Amino acid sequence: MALSPRQRGRVLFCLRGIAIAVLLVVLLGPIAWIFLTSIKPLSDVYTMTLFFDPTLDNFRAIFERPFYVGDRLLNSLAISGFTVLIGVPVALAAAYSFSRFSMRFKKTLFFGVLATQFVPPIVVVLPFFLMFRQLHLLDTWTGMVWINLSIVLPFAIWMLKGFIDTIPVEMEEAAMTDGATRLRVIRDIVLPVTIPGVFVAGIFCFIFSWNDFLYALILTRKEAVTLPVVLSTFYTEEGDRWELMAATGTFILLPMFAISYFVQRHFVHGATQGSDR
Amino acid sequence: MRDRHLKYLLMMPALLLVTATVIYPLGYAGIISFMDWRLSRSRVPTDFVFLDNFWRAFFDDPSFLNSLGVTITFVAGSAGGAVLFGLLIALLLARRGRGYSIARTVLVLPFAMSPALQGTSFRFFLNPEFGIFDAVLDTLFPFLAHVDWLGSSGWAMTWLILTDMWHWGPFLSLMLIGGLLSIPSDTLEAARVDGASAWTSFWTVVLPQLMPVLAIAFVLKTIFSFKMFDYVYLLTGGGPGESTSTMTYYAFRMGFTAYDMGYASAIAFVLALLLVVVSAVYFRLLFPRGEAG
Repeated sequence: MALSPRQRGRVLFCLRGIAIAVLLVVLLGPIAWIFLTSIKPLSDVYTMTLFFDPTLDNFRAIFERPFYVGDRLLNSLAISGFTVLIGVPVALAAAYSFSRFSMRFKKTLFFGVLATQFVPPIVVVLPFFLMFRQLHLLDTWTGMVWINLSIVLPFAIWMLKGFIDTIPVEMEEAAMTDGATRLRVIRDIVLPVTIPGVFVAGIFCFIFSWNDFLYALILTRKEAVTLPVVLSTFYTEEGDRWELMAATGTFILLPMFAISYFVQRHFVHGATQGSDR
Repeated sequence: MRDRHLKYLLMMPALLLVTATVIYPLGYAGIISFMDWRLSRSRVPTDFVFLDNFWRAFFDDPSFLNSLGVTITFVAGSAGGAVLFGLLIALLLARRGRGYSIARTVLVLPFAMSPALQGTSFRFFLNPEFGIFDAVLDTLFPFLAHVDWLGSSGWAMTWLILTDMWHWGPFLSLMLIGGLLSIPSDTLEAARVDGASAWTSFWTVVLPQLMPVLAIAFVLKTIFSFKMFDYVYLLTGGGPGESTSTMTYYAFRMGFTAYDMGYASAIAFVLALLLVVVSAVYFRLLFPRGEAG
């Protein structure tokens, strides 16, 4: 069957459209299904139906005994929040230093910091468990923030250094020749232009510690349990409470989706700058 | 204050924290791996046993050797699979136009989703009685209707890999889309004028230009595949049998259900070494003239 180039083009266009539609269903379907399940009445949870009376019962149930998802939500927010608040400024200072100053062993040092990301978390978590047991930091916010910094810091340093590298150094030099001190230059010239980068790095760090499961599973018991770990407590003796997992999952997802909007803007813009318009 | 001091001062907090959160624990784990320390019997390490834990792993523990094989299967499958999936998505969506840029906004969602939530949900989706994946697949492929997805070892590993691909493929595609859109359009135009089909110009123009980004995506994904834990724990539980018990999961079980700290550290350390070796080989192959530094 011979097709003219024009027909061929049309067939290809349709195929591409179908492929994209399938892709979107594959990527969005599971997420949509979690949302749907979270508002289904119990009688419909284990069916495939799309028609049901939406209810908030599942949400009510997870906030009550014995799950207390409200407390877990607070833990998750506090641990991720403090991790970002401590991690990002510390990383910013180091990133500025890595970007602007020359020093001996700088490359080695920077590579060393990045190389810590190659260390599997399971290696780090064993000694942390033993250390925290001795220091009474098991099941505390402090302990969790501390260990989350290990995921977040090297990444944030790398990201912020890349960002500062793209800022032309001339303005800083000009201000310095005018007699401004380095600290003033950092505060008045560098900080304002770095804000977008800091924001994106902060978002990534928040996502990483918000989604952490392994550390929280091992290092928390009762008080500092975070949302992802709550999910595993719904495998109960009366069976798996899928509707409650879905409701909790909705809480895990919501902030992620709100902020991933910004991340996506950063990424897609960064990746395709100027090509869309 | 002079820059001479300031540059170190600025770096100090970060270096201290990195040391306290990674370097020190790593050294500690190294020491424990030479010890006999069963938490169920003693609050402190009992004996210095040198390489006994490592010896036991390689010569006296089929479960460990199994986990080594499982890890390699998973890493190869998920790194290759996620990059291919990412490439496929990128080729579909790397077009100029409003529709495409809206479609691209979806790509970040799977990556932002907590792996723990994804593991628990996919486990339900695959349930043979009330899972949505199972229902859809049974309709599309009736000859697979009898399959209990997480109940047979081959399928459990397949789904472990697919789950991981769902998470990473779209994210990697964002990197690749950047690479694709930066290929100058006159290069493609020239190939078309020369009479190259879309297929040939993909192999001769697009793929070579994309190679550096593909390589980075592959290395990045390999490293993360080695570290993966959440899906094994929540999706398959290492099963059926030990068919999806990766080294990370096996070290976790030894440490926190058997409370054998020495042995668990040794396993974790072997994993870390494996990761170092593999990434060193990659960097050699990909950046032969030391371009990485």
